[in-house]
Amino acid sequence: MNINMHNIIKKYENKTVLNIDELEIKKGLVTGIIGPNGSGKSTLMRILAGLDNDFTGTLHIDEQEVNPEISKHMTLVFQKPYLINTDVYHNIAYPLKIRGKSKSEINSKVQQVIELLQLESIQHQNANTLSGGELQKAAMARAIVFEPKLLLLDEPTANIDPQTMLLMENAISYINQSCSTTVVLVTHNIGQLQRMCREAVFMREGRVEKQGALRDVLSNIKGTYIGEFLEPEL
Amino acid sequence: MDYIMQGFGEAFQLLLSLDKEIYGIILLTLYVTIMSTCIAAIIAVPLGILIGLKNFRFKRTLIRLLYTFMSMPPVIAGLFVFLVLSRRGPLGQLELLFTPTAMIIAQVFLVTPIIMGITYNSTREKGQKIRQLAYTMGANRIQSLSLLLFELRADILAAVVSGFGRAISEVGAVMLVGGNIKGHTRVMTTSIAMLQSMGDYSQAIAIGVVLLALSFAINSILYHGQRVI
Repeated sequence: MNINMHNIIKKYENKTVLNIDELEIKKGLVTGIIGPNGSGKSTLMRILAGLDNDFTGTLHIDEQEVNPEISKHMTLVFQKPYLINTDVYHNIAYPLKIRGKSKSEINSKVQQVIELLQLESIQHQNANTLSGGELQKAAMARAIVFEPKLLLLDEPTANIDPQTMLLMENAISYINQSCSTTVVLVTHNIGQLQRMCREAVFMREGRVEKQGALRDVLSNIKGTYIGEFLEPEL
Repeated sequence: MDYIMQGFGEAFQLLLSLDKEIYGIILLTLYVTIMSTCIAAIIAVPLGILIGLKNFRFKRTLIRLLYTFMSMPPVIAGLFVFLVLSRRGPLGQLELLFTPTAMIIAQVFLVTPIIMGITYNSTREKGQKIRQLAYTMGANRIQSLSLLLFELRADILAAVVSGFGRAISEVGAVMLVGGNIKGHTRVMTTSIAMLQSMGDYSQAIAIGVVLLALSFAINSILYHGQRVI
Protein backbone atom coordinates (compact mmCIF):
# COMPACT_ATOMS: atom_id res chain seq x y z
CA MET A 1 0.00 0.00 0.00
CA ASN A 2 1.23 3.46 -0.90
CA ILE A 3 0.63 6.16 1.72
CA ASN A 4 0.50 9.91 1.06
CA MET A 5 -0.04 12.57 3.71
CA HIS A 6 -0.49 16.27 3.05
CA ASN A 7 -0.75 19.11 5.54
CA ILE A 8 -1.64 16.85 8.44
CA ILE A 9 -2.22 18.76 11.66
CA LYS A 10 -3.19 17.00 14.85
CA LYS A 11 -3.85 18.91 18.06
CA TYR A 12 -4.46 17.79 21.63
CA GLU A 13 -6.48 20.56 23.21
CA ASN A 14 -4.49 23.59 21.94
CA LYS A 15 -1.13 21.90 21.51
CA THR A 16 -0.05 20.83 18.03
CA VAL A 17 1.43 17.34 18.31
CA LEU A 18 1.70 16.55 14.63
CA ASN A 19 2.36 18.95 11.76
CA ILE A 20 3.32 17.10 8.59
CA ASP A 21 3.49 19.02 5.31
CA GLU A 22 4.30 16.06 3.13
CA LEU A 23 5.01 12.40 3.80
CA GLU A 24 5.16 9.46 1.44
CA ILE A 25 5.48 5.81 2.47
CA LYS A 26 6.38 3.68 -0.52
CA LYS A 27 4.52 0.50 -1.36
CA GLY A 28 6.17 -2.82 -0.57
CA LEU A 29 9.08 -1.35 1.39
CA VAL A 30 10.01 -1.32 5.07
CA THR A 31 10.08 2.29 6.25
CA GLY A 32 11.57 3.14 9.62
CA ILE A 33 10.25 6.02 11.72
CA ILE A 34 12.80 7.42 14.16
CA GLY A 35 12.95 10.40 16.42
CA PRO A 36 13.05 11.37 20.08
CA ASN A 37 10.25 10.66 22.54
CA GLY A 38 7.28 12.96 22.06
CA SER A 39 8.11 13.63 18.41
CA GLY A 40 4.71 12.34 17.25
CA LYS A 41 5.67 8.86 16.02
CA SER A 42 2.91 7.00 17.87
CA THR A 43 0.33 9.67 16.97
CA LEU A 44 1.33 9.24 13.33
CA MET A 45 0.87 5.46 13.64
CA ARG A 46 -2.58 5.86 15.20
CA ILE A 47 -3.63 8.17 12.38
CA LEU A 48 -2.29 5.77 9.74
CA ALA A 49 -4.13 2.88 11.42
CA GLY A 50 -7.40 4.83 11.36
CA LEU A 51 -7.63 4.86 15.16
CA ASP A 52 -7.50 8.66 15.30
CA ASN A 53 -9.58 10.60 12.81
CA ASP A 54 -9.51 13.91 14.67
CA PHE A 55 -6.99 15.72 12.44
CA THR A 56 -6.94 18.09 9.48
CA GLY A 57 -5.26 17.46 6.14
CA THR A 58 -5.41 14.58 3.72
CA LEU A 59 -4.35 10.99 4.17
CA HIS A 60 -4.53 8.72 1.17
CA ILE A 61 -3.79 5.02 1.19
CA ASP A 62 -3.54 3.63 -2.34
CA GLU A 63 -5.08 6.92 -3.51
CA GLN A 64 -8.18 6.44 -1.36
CA GLU A 65 -9.20 7.92 1.95
CA VAL A 66 -9.03 5.45 4.86
CA ASN A 67 -12.26 3.45 4.86
CA PRO A 68 -13.43 0.19 6.46
CA GLU A 69 -12.55 -1.78 3.34
CA ILE A 70 -8.93 -0.54 3.36
CA SER A 71 -8.74 -1.04 7.15
CA LYS A 72 -9.37 -4.75 6.66
CA HIS A 73 -6.04 -5.04 4.85
CA MET A 74 -3.91 -3.33 7.46
CA THR A 75 -3.04 -3.74 11.10
CA LEU A 76 -1.09 -2.12 13.92
CA VAL A 77 1.03 -3.82 16.58
CA PHE A 78 1.46 -1.75 19.72
CA GLN A 79 4.46 -1.71 22.03
CA LYS A 80 2.15 -3.12 24.70
CA PRO A 81 -0.25 -5.27 22.70
CA TYR A 82 -3.61 -6.46 24.00
CA LEU A 83 -4.15 -10.19 23.72
CA ILE A 84 -7.56 -11.81 24.00
CA ASN A 85 -8.18 -13.77 27.20
CA THR A 86 -7.79 -17.15 25.53
CA ASP A 87 -4.87 -19.29 24.42
CA VAL A 88 -2.15 -18.14 22.01
CA TYR A 89 -3.47 -20.33 19.17
CA HIS A 90 -6.92 -18.74 19.26
CA ASN A 91 -5.42 -15.26 19.53
CA ILE A 92 -3.48 -15.85 16.34
CA ALA A 93 -6.51 -17.43 14.66
CA TYR A 94 -8.77 -14.46 15.49
CA PRO A 95 -8.20 -12.31 12.36
CA LEU A 96 -8.70 -15.36 10.13
CA LYS A 97 -11.84 -16.39 12.00
CA ILE A 98 -13.49 -12.98 11.57
CA ARG A 99 -12.66 -13.15 7.87
CA GLY A 100 -14.69 -16.35 7.64
CA LYS A 101 -11.80 -18.66 6.69
CA SER A 102 -12.31 -22.42 6.88
CA LYS A 103 -11.04 -24.38 9.87
CA SER A 104 -8.40 -26.17 7.82
CA GLU A 105 -7.11 -22.93 6.29
CA ILE A 106 -7.02 -21.30 9.74
CA ASN A 107 -5.09 -24.23 11.17
CA SER A 108 -2.57 -24.33 8.36
CA LYS A 109 -1.86 -20.56 8.44
CA VAL A 110 -1.73 -20.40 12.23
CA GLN A 111 0.73 -23.32 12.36
CA GLN A 112 2.87 -21.60 9.74
CA VAL A 113 3.31 -18.42 11.80
CA ILE A 114 3.63 -20.37 15.04
CA GLU A 115 6.60 -22.15 13.45
CA LEU A 116 8.00 -18.90 12.06
CA LEU A 117 7.96 -17.22 15.47
CA GLN A 118 8.76 -20.39 17.44
CA LEU A 119 5.58 -20.33 19.49
CA GLU A 120 5.00 -24.11 19.45
CA SER A 121 5.58 -24.65 23.17
CA ILE A 122 3.17 -21.90 24.26
CA GLN A 123 0.44 -22.18 21.64
CA HIS A 124 -2.02 -23.70 24.13
CA GLN A 125 -1.05 -21.38 26.97
CA ASN A 126 -3.42 -18.59 28.04
CA ALA A 127 -2.26 -15.20 26.78
CA ASN A 128 -2.49 -13.75 30.30
CA THR A 129 0.34 -16.01 31.46
CA LEU A 130 2.88 -14.95 28.81
CA SER A 131 6.13 -13.07 29.40
CA GLY A 132 6.74 -9.72 27.67
CA GLY A 133 8.70 -11.26 24.80
CA GLU A 134 6.19 -14.07 24.26
CA LEU A 135 3.37 -11.53 24.25
CA GLN A 136 5.11 -9.49 21.55
CA LYS A 137 5.76 -12.60 19.45
CA ALA A 138 2.12 -13.71 19.75
CA ALA A 139 0.93 -10.22 18.78
CA MET A 140 3.27 -10.23 15.78
CA ALA A 141 2.04 -13.68 14.74
CA ARG A 142 -1.57 -12.48 14.98
CA ALA A 143 -0.73 -9.42 12.89
CA ILE A 144 0.96 -11.27 10.02
CA VAL A 145 -1.24 -14.38 9.89
CA PHE A 146 -3.82 -12.73 7.62
CA GLU A 147 -1.11 -11.34 5.31
CA PRO A 148 -1.96 -7.64 5.62
CA LYS A 149 -1.01 -5.25 2.83
CA LEU A 150 0.09 -2.66 5.39
CA LEU A 151 1.77 -3.59 8.67
CA LEU A 152 2.24 -0.78 11.20
CA LEU A 153 4.63 -1.59 14.05
CA ASP A 154 4.95 0.80 16.99
CA GLU A 155 8.17 -0.25 18.72
CA PRO A 156 7.30 -3.96 18.61
CA THR A 157 10.72 -5.06 19.82
CA ALA A 158 11.19 -2.62 22.69
CA ASN A 159 12.35 -4.30 25.92
CA ILE A 160 12.84 -7.77 24.46
CA ASP A 161 15.95 -9.94 24.30
CA PRO A 162 18.21 -9.88 21.20
CA GLN A 163 17.26 -13.43 20.13
CA THR A 164 13.53 -12.68 20.21
CA MET A 165 14.19 -9.41 18.43
CA LEU A 166 15.94 -11.21 15.55
CA LEU A 167 13.07 -13.68 15.35
CA MET A 168 10.62 -10.79 15.10
CA GLU A 169 12.75 -9.10 12.47
CA ASN A 170 12.78 -12.34 10.45
CA ALA A 171 9.00 -12.44 10.63
CA ILE A 172 8.77 -8.82 9.43
CA SER A 173 11.14 -9.53 6.53
CA TYR A 174 9.23 -12.69 5.68
CA ILE A 175 5.85 -10.94 5.43
CA ASN A 176 7.42 -8.02 3.55
CA GLN A 177 9.06 -10.27 0.97
CA SER A 178 6.50 -13.05 0.60
CA CYS A 179 3.36 -10.87 0.52
CA SER A 180 4.84 -7.52 -0.61
CA THR A 181 3.49 -6.04 2.61
CA THR A 182 4.31 -2.39 3.19
CA VAL A 183 5.82 -2.10 6.66
CA VAL A 184 6.08 1.04 8.78
CA LEU A 185 8.33 0.43 11.77
CA VAL A 186 8.76 2.83 14.67
CA THR A 187 12.04 2.06 16.39
CA HIS A 188 14.66 3.56 18.67
CA ASN A 189 17.13 0.86 17.69
CA ILE A 190 19.43 2.19 14.96
CA GLY A 191 20.89 -1.27 14.37
CA GLN A 192 17.40 -2.55 13.66
CA LEU A 193 16.72 0.41 11.41
CA GLN A 194 19.82 -0.38 9.38
CA ARG A 195 19.04 -4.10 9.20
CA MET A 196 15.38 -3.75 8.30
CA CYS A 197 14.62 -0.51 6.49
CA ARG A 198 15.24 0.80 2.98
CA GLU A 199 13.45 4.07 3.69
CA ALA A 200 13.46 6.23 6.82
CA VAL A 201 11.62 9.18 8.29
CA PHE A 202 13.15 11.26 11.06
CA MET A 203 10.61 13.10 13.19
CA ARG A 204 11.11 15.96 15.62
CA GLU A 205 8.49 17.91 17.56
CA GLY A 206 5.65 16.61 15.39
CA ARG A 207 7.35 17.47 12.11
CA VAL A 208 9.16 15.40 9.50
CA GLU A 209 12.76 16.56 9.77
CA LYS A 210 14.09 14.34 6.99
CA GLN A 211 12.72 11.51 4.84
CA GLY A 212 13.94 9.34 2.00
CA ALA A 213 16.23 6.38 1.42
CA LEU A 214 17.88 5.30 4.68
CA ARG A 215 21.41 6.02 3.43
CA ASP A 216 20.34 9.56 2.45
CA VAL A 217 18.64 10.18 5.81
CA LEU A 218 21.79 9.03 7.63
CA SER A 219 24.24 10.92 5.40
CA ASN A 220 25.62 14.40 6.01
CA ILE A 221 24.19 14.52 9.52
CA LYS A 222 27.33 15.69 11.30
CA GLY A 223 26.59 18.85 13.20
CA THR A 224 22.82 18.51 12.66
CA TYR A 225 20.15 17.60 15.21
CA ILE A 226 19.83 14.13 13.65
CA GLY A 227 23.56 13.63 14.02
CA GLU A 228 23.45 14.61 17.68
CA PHE A 229 20.47 12.36 18.29
CA LEU A 230 21.95 9.32 16.56
CA GLU A 231 25.56 9.82 17.65
CA PRO A 232 25.45 7.51 20.70
CA GLU A 233 24.05 4.69 18.52
CA LEU A 234 26.19 5.10 15.39
CA MET B 1 -26.57 -19.92 73.67
CA ASP B 2 -28.85 -22.94 74.21
CA TYR B 3 -31.76 -21.39 72.42
CA ILE B 4 -29.57 -20.71 69.39
CA MET B 5 -28.46 -24.36 69.21
CA GLN B 6 -32.05 -25.45 69.81
CA GLY B 7 -33.04 -23.09 67.01
CA PHE B 8 -30.60 -24.81 64.62
CA GLY B 9 -31.94 -28.24 65.60
CA GLU B 10 -35.52 -27.16 65.04
CA ALA B 11 -34.50 -25.51 61.79
CA PHE B 12 -33.25 -28.78 60.30
CA GLN B 13 -36.34 -30.64 61.53
CA LEU B 14 -38.49 -28.00 59.87
CA LEU B 15 -36.63 -28.35 56.59
CA LEU B 16 -36.82 -32.13 56.66
CA SER B 17 -40.55 -32.03 57.42
CA LEU B 18 -41.09 -30.52 53.92
CA ASP B 19 -43.25 -27.77 55.37
CA LYS B 20 -45.37 -26.37 52.52
CA GLU B 21 -45.23 -22.80 53.78
CA ILE B 22 -41.44 -22.80 54.14
CA TYR B 23 -40.93 -24.20 50.64
CA GLY B 24 -43.45 -21.70 49.25
CA ILE B 25 -41.40 -18.89 50.77
CA ILE B 26 -38.17 -20.34 49.35
CA LEU B 27 -39.62 -20.68 45.85
CA LEU B 28 -41.06 -17.15 45.89
CA THR B 29 -37.72 -15.77 47.06
CA LEU B 30 -35.92 -17.52 44.22
CA TYR B 31 -38.52 -16.39 41.68
CA VAL B 32 -38.38 -12.72 42.74
CA THR B 33 -34.57 -12.66 43.04
CA ILE B 34 -33.79 -14.44 39.77
CA MET B 35 -36.38 -12.46 37.79
CA SER B 36 -35.21 -9.12 39.14
CA THR B 37 -31.51 -9.96 38.58
CA CYS B 38 -32.19 -11.10 35.00
CA ILE B 39 -34.27 -8.00 34.14
CA ALA B 40 -31.70 -5.72 35.76
CA ALA B 41 -28.86 -7.43 33.84
CA ILE B 42 -30.69 -7.03 30.52
CA ILE B 43 -31.06 -3.30 31.20
CA ALA B 44 -27.76 -2.62 32.95
CA VAL B 45 -25.14 -4.53 30.93
CA PRO B 46 -25.74 -2.77 27.56
CA LEU B 47 -26.10 0.62 29.27
CA GLY B 48 -22.95 0.09 31.36
CA ILE B 49 -20.99 -0.81 28.22
CA LEU B 50 -22.41 2.17 26.33
CA ILE B 51 -21.54 4.64 29.10
CA GLY B 52 -18.08 3.10 29.40
CA LEU B 53 -17.33 3.49 25.70
CA LYS B 54 -19.00 6.73 24.69
CA ASN B 55 -18.20 10.28 25.64
CA PHE B 56 -21.15 12.64 25.87
CA ARG B 57 -22.28 15.77 27.69
CA PHE B 58 -23.13 15.35 31.36
CA LYS B 59 -21.38 11.97 31.48
CA ARG B 60 -19.64 12.87 34.74
CA THR B 61 -22.95 13.89 36.33
CA LEU B 62 -24.50 10.65 35.15
CA ILE B 63 -21.63 8.63 36.68
CA ARG B 64 -22.03 10.45 40.00
CA LEU B 65 -25.75 9.68 39.96
CA LEU B 66 -25.00 6.06 39.08
CA TYR B 67 -22.62 5.70 42.04
CA THR B 68 -25.22 7.32 44.30
CA PHE B 69 -27.88 4.86 43.15
CA MET B 70 -25.45 1.97 43.69
CA SER B 71 -25.58 2.68 47.40
CA MET B 72 -29.24 3.72 47.49
CA PRO B 73 -30.93 2.62 50.75
CA PRO B 74 -33.49 -0.10 49.89
CA VAL B 75 -36.29 1.61 51.78
CA ILE B 76 -35.98 4.62 49.50
CA ALA B 77 -36.31 2.42 46.40
CA GLY B 78 -39.22 0.67 48.13
CA LEU B 79 -40.88 3.94 49.02
CA PHE B 80 -40.51 5.25 45.46
CA VAL B 81 -41.99 2.10 43.91
CA PHE B 82 -44.71 2.09 46.59
CA LEU B 83 -45.73 5.68 45.74
CA VAL B 84 -45.72 5.00 42.00
CA LEU B 85 -47.78 1.80 42.33
CA SER B 86 -50.10 2.95 45.12
CA ARG B 87 -53.77 3.56 44.30
CA ARG B 88 -53.20 7.32 43.94
CA GLY B 89 -49.85 6.92 42.13
CA PRO B 90 -49.28 7.21 38.36
CA LEU B 91 -49.40 3.43 37.87
CA GLY B 92 -52.03 2.77 40.54
CA GLN B 93 -54.60 1.46 38.05
CA LEU B 94 -52.32 -1.54 37.32
CA GLU B 95 -53.02 -2.79 40.88
CA LEU B 96 -49.52 -4.18 41.28
CA LEU B 97 -48.92 -3.10 44.86
CA PHE B 98 -48.50 -6.00 47.31
CA THR B 99 -47.81 -8.47 44.49
CA PRO B 100 -44.59 -10.33 43.59
CA THR B 101 -44.42 -8.13 40.47
CA ALA B 102 -44.12 -5.01 42.65
CA MET B 103 -41.33 -6.74 44.59
CA ILE B 104 -39.50 -7.52 41.34
CA ILE B 105 -39.86 -3.88 40.21
CA ALA B 106 -38.41 -2.61 43.50
CA GLN B 107 -35.49 -5.01 43.29
CA VAL B 108 -34.81 -4.09 39.67
CA PHE B 109 -34.48 -0.47 40.90
CA LEU B 110 -31.92 -1.58 43.45
CA VAL B 111 -29.96 -4.07 41.37
CA THR B 112 -29.73 -2.22 38.03
CA PRO B 113 -27.32 0.52 39.25
CA ILE B 114 -25.04 -2.10 40.82
CA ILE B 115 -24.71 -4.17 37.64
CA MET B 116 -24.48 -1.02 35.51
CA GLY B 117 -21.79 0.54 37.71
CA ILE B 118 -19.57 -2.54 37.75
CA THR B 119 -20.02 -3.09 33.99
CA TYR B 120 -19.25 0.59 33.34
CA ASN B 121 -16.01 0.40 35.35
CA SER B 122 -14.80 -2.73 33.56
CA THR B 123 -15.65 -1.26 30.16
CA ARG B 124 -13.89 2.01 30.99
CA GLU B 125 -10.81 0.06 31.98
CA LYS B 126 -10.59 -2.40 29.10
CA GLY B 127 -13.15 -1.32 26.49
CA GLN B 128 -10.98 1.06 24.49
CA LYS B 129 -8.14 -1.45 24.18
CA ILE B 130 -10.53 -4.19 23.07
CA ARG B 131 -12.18 -1.94 20.50
CA GLN B 132 -8.81 -0.84 19.16
CA LEU B 133 -7.72 -4.45 18.86
CA ALA B 134 -10.92 -5.36 17.02
CA TYR B 135 -10.49 -2.39 14.66
CA THR B 136 -6.84 -3.14 13.90
CA MET B 137 -7.75 -6.76 13.20
CA GLY B 138 -10.36 -5.64 10.66
CA ALA B 139 -13.44 -6.62 12.68
CA ASN B 140 -16.81 -5.13 11.78
CA ARG B 141 -19.13 -3.56 14.36
CA ILE B 142 -20.86 -6.82 15.33
CA GLN B 143 -17.56 -8.70 15.56
CA SER B 144 -16.12 -5.85 17.64
CA LEU B 145 -19.10 -5.94 20.01
CA SER B 146 -18.94 -9.72 20.37
CA LEU B 147 -15.20 -9.50 21.15
CA LEU B 148 -15.98 -6.86 23.77
CA LEU B 149 -18.62 -9.07 25.40
CA PHE B 150 -16.29 -12.07 25.26
CA GLU B 151 -13.49 -10.14 26.95
CA LEU B 152 -15.76 -8.63 29.58
CA ARG B 153 -17.55 -11.91 30.31
CA ALA B 154 -15.95 -12.49 33.72
CA ASP B 155 -16.54 -8.87 34.77
CA ILE B 156 -20.19 -9.01 33.65
CA LEU B 157 -20.69 -12.24 35.57
CA ALA B 158 -19.12 -10.63 38.67
CA ALA B 159 -21.54 -7.71 38.26
CA VAL B 160 -24.51 -10.08 38.01
CA VAL B 161 -23.31 -12.02 41.08
CA SER B 162 -23.13 -8.76 43.05
CA GLY B 163 -26.61 -7.81 41.86
CA PHE B 164 -27.95 -11.21 42.83
CA GLY B 165 -26.38 -10.86 46.27
CA ARG B 166 -28.08 -7.53 46.77
CA ALA B 167 -31.45 -8.88 45.59
CA ILE B 168 -31.50 -12.05 47.68
CA SER B 169 -30.49 -10.24 50.88
CA GLU B 170 -32.86 -7.31 50.46
CA VAL B 171 -35.63 -6.78 53.00
CA GLY B 172 -36.69 -3.11 53.26
CA ALA B 173 -37.99 -2.51 49.74
CA VAL B 174 -39.81 -5.84 49.35
CA MET B 175 -41.42 -5.36 52.76
CA LEU B 176 -42.77 -1.96 51.69
CA VAL B 177 -44.12 -2.94 48.27
CA GLY B 178 -44.89 -6.61 48.97
CA GLY B 179 -46.42 -6.23 52.41
CA ASN B 180 -45.11 -9.61 53.62
CA ILE B 181 -48.49 -11.25 52.97
CA LYS B 182 -48.56 -14.93 53.98
CA GLY B 183 -48.64 -17.25 50.98
CA HIS B 184 -48.54 -14.36 48.56
CA THR B 185 -45.61 -11.96 48.99
CA ARG B 186 -43.75 -13.40 51.94
CA VAL B 187 -40.10 -14.03 51.09
CA MET B 188 -37.26 -15.33 53.23
CA THR B 189 -35.85 -12.00 54.40
CA THR B 190 -39.26 -10.56 55.33
CA SER B 191 -40.12 -13.83 57.09
CA ILE B 192 -36.95 -13.67 59.18
CA ALA B 193 -37.67 -10.06 60.18
CA MET B 194 -41.25 -10.95 61.12
CA LEU B 195 -40.37 -14.18 62.99
CA GLN B 196 -37.65 -12.39 64.95
CA SER B 197 -40.10 -9.72 66.05
CA MET B 198 -42.51 -12.49 67.11
CA GLY B 199 -39.75 -14.28 69.08
CA ASP B 200 -40.03 -17.43 66.91
CA TYR B 201 -36.28 -17.94 66.61
CA SER B 202 -36.30 -21.57 65.40
CA GLN B 203 -38.26 -20.73 62.23
CA ALA B 204 -36.19 -17.57 61.76
CA ILE B 205 -32.97 -19.61 62.03
CA ALA B 206 -34.39 -22.30 59.70
CA ILE B 207 -35.14 -19.78 57.00
CA GLY B 208 -31.82 -18.01 57.66
CA VAL B 209 -29.93 -21.29 57.19
CA VAL B 210 -31.75 -21.98 53.93
CA LEU B 211 -31.13 -18.41 52.73
CA LEU B 212 -27.42 -18.76 53.43
CA ALA B 213 -27.25 -22.20 51.81
CA LEU B 214 -29.10 -20.97 48.71
CA SER B 215 -26.91 -17.92 48.43
CA PHE B 216 -23.81 -20.08 48.85
CA ALA B 217 -24.99 -22.61 46.23
CA ILE B 218 -25.88 -20.00 43.61
CA ASN B 219 -22.74 -17.97 44.21
CA SER B 220 -20.67 -21.15 43.98
CA ILE B 221 -22.19 -21.94 40.60
CA LEU B 222 -21.57 -18.39 39.35
CA TYR B 223 -18.04 -18.32 40.79
CA HIS B 224 -17.29 -21.64 39.10
CA GLY B 225 -18.67 -20.19 35.85
CA GLN B 226 -16.45 -17.13 36.24
CA ARG B 227 -13.36 -19.30 36.62
CA VAL B 228 -14.25 -21.61 33.74
CA ILE B 229 -14.98 -18.85 31.22
